[in-house]
Amino acid sequence: MAAPKAARRLQPSKVRVAVIGLAVVAAWMGMGYRLFQIQVVQAADLAEQGLNQRLVSRDLAPQRGKIFDRNGELLAMTVQAQSIYAVPSQVEEPLWVAQQIGGPLGADTDVLYQRLISDREFVYIKRQVEDVVADEVLGLEIRGVYSHPEPTRIYPAGAVASHVTGFVNIDGDGQEGLELVYDEELRGTPGKAEFERDLQGRVIPQGYSRIVPAIPGVDLNTTIDLPLQYQAQQACVLALEQTGAISCWVVVLAVETGEVLAMVGAPIFDPQTRQTQDPSCEQAEDPVACRAFSNFIVRGIYEPGSTQKLITVAAALEEGEVSIGTVFPEVPDELELRDDACRFADDELYGCYRDFENHATEDMSVAQIFTRSSNIGTIKIAETLGQDRLIQYIEAFGLGSKTGIDYTAEAPGILNFEAGCETCWASAAIGYSVAVTPLQMAAAYAAIGNDGIWTTPHIVSSKTDVDGETQVAGMQTRRVVSSGTALLMRELLALVVEKGTGAAAAIDGYRVGGKTGTANKLGDDGRYTETTRASFVGMAPINDPKVVVAVLIDAPSFDYRTGGLSAAPVFAAVMKQALHRLGVTPDGHQR
Amino acid sequence: MTARPVRRLAEQDNLRLLKGRRLRRPTLAPWMLMVLIGVVAFLGLGFARTSLDRSAFDLAELSKAISEETATNRQMNLEIARLVNPARISPLAEELGLVIPDTTKQLLVDLTPEIPVVAGAEGEGNNQ
Repeated sequence: MAAPKAARRLQPSKVRVAVIGLAVVAAWMGMGYRLFQIQVVQAADLAEQGLNQRLVSRDLAPQRGKIFDRNGELLAMTVQAQSIYAVPSQVEEPLWVAQQIGGPLGADTDVLYQRLISDREFVYIKRQVEDVVADEVLGLEIRGVYSHPEPTRIYPAGAVASHVTGFVNIDGDGQEGLELVYDEELRGTPGKAEFERDLQGRVIPQGYSRIVPAIPGVDLNTTIDLPLQYQAQQACVLALEQTGAISCWVVVLAVETGEVLAMVGAPIFDPQTRQTQDPSCEQAEDPVACRAFSNFIVRGIYEPGSTQKLITVAAALEEGEVSIGTVFPEVPDELELRDDACRFADDELYGCYRDFENHATEDMSVAQIFTRSSNIGTIKIAETLGQDRLIQYIEAFGLGSKTGIDYTAEAPGILNFEAGCETCWASAAIGYSVAVTPLQMAAAYAAIGNDGIWTTPHIVSSKTDVDGETQVAGMQTRRVVSSGTALLMRELLALVVEKGTGAAAAIDGYRVGGKTGTANKLGDDGRYTETTRASFVGMAPINDPKVVVAVLIDAPSFDYRTGGLSAAPVFAAVMKQALHRLGVTPDGHQR
Repeated sequence: MTARPVRRLAEQDNLRLLKGRRLRRPTLAPWMLMVLIGVVAFLGLGFARTSLDRSAFDLAELSKAISEETATNRQMNLEIARLVNPARISPLAEELGLVIPDTTKQLLVDLTPEIPVVAGAEGEGNNQ
């Protein structure tokens, strides 16, 4: 009986084995459960967490588009530069370091020293320096001074095309000129790169990677001719030296297409450094608002003076009120449109008009009035038109509204024909009471050169992106006078140069036509001063005009106060280069 | 050392021949072949993986080289643009006595066969 009883009792060793076995099974089941949890239930989440730890995302900066002139020469491009920075806490001898790196960087040692002793963790020493300079600084192997790559905008033509290209700020955002107008298209679309990296930060070759490439900005192909731009700028700089004026502006238009071949101003500025010799910029609170940076050709408005007479006479000819030979009897050198407006010789009263030079009362033909730039004669011509028709033609020639050029903040100009103004029409006929931009005046003259058809001026001819080149549309044309009137006006313009006030605009080999303009500037008290704005607008060859050049010289000295004395020589210098550049056949005319 | 001939077994008295499938001794060849294939596949996979990694490194090197060449190219384009800048060339030309002429000379070419004259004219002329 003992044996069965003993048999029923479990042996301890077997119990232990069983317990261990159960424990092992339970452990395996636990591990299996956990494995199932990890590998199946949580697999996706855990895989994502792991990937996120290894995954790095980087923005890919797009390459900013280039700007070219009409011959494919670079005006602006972006290259990789180095920005030098310091970690001040790591710099051991700040003064010595400032002295060492100040030379190669061309930076002030005191300024550098102040930066190196600051409490900040990171300070820029100098941003966007060329690789050669950066290598020189980094070659000193100074602890705490490092560099990182950063794109920078370069203008290889320097100041030559600065009034066209404009410039960007330190972060590459367009601030002026074409850089601002086409900023969005130039900057392109940023891309993105995602990739896995190991503990050392190296890319895992077969790891996950996804790259959305950056789309580079469009390249702009402009109508600017860089050599002509340079010649025009040199002529302007020379004019400033000779006349003592505060600024000089020149715009060159292709007559048939409205292409801007050159657009320059002086004082000049360097778009790279944004430095200028213009003293007015030192006082300006907003650097962009100073005279040199702001493009007067597009934004500046001035009373055009006698260059406006082209529109008055063309309107009268077009309306059939006069012909070139029509004689106005007894044209004086002074005219009162209000009683006693011209009481004294030096009166500048409202309603008093005088010719620039005194002359006896005489009969004058339309051709003589225009050639000798008679204010009184022109007012008499305008009288035949009446104010409404005069305004109609002034507006048709594009004054008082933006030309539509692809440039920022274009000024529309001002047409001052307020209700009840008795003399505004007379003032407008001779270029007062209206304010225009040099570009508007150039476009109006180009319409006469283009057989009476006005064309929108433009600077960008085409854009090139990843899909190829596309032409820029939007150029508008409209007829403002008949081709017959335009032909007559060109003949009158030629007479101005051959027999009138524009003799200094003549060029050997080409028959040139143009009109001088001299307008007194308004003073702070609202009265006209002795200071003038001298201008000349003309075209050549007069029988088949290819180019219009408009010159404006602001506040020349007394000896050069008229358009014939200061602006016409600049016109001649620029026009000669323009005709050479375009290969225009001489017509054999000798001055 | 393989099995003896069946015929001799059948001739023995106390033995009788049972019909049925002859028992085959297991052969190692298929297993060895499979192992071999497995090893080759493993090695091949390893080699492919290594090659792929190497290609990735090569591609990375090539991309880097392309970037460097592109940067060099851009720098050279910039250098060219600076060199052809009229503001740089013009003063140099003046130093060498080169100036833009004041007058324009035009060649008149008469295309009539009997007078193949090329004449110089200053500041005038027509294209024929």
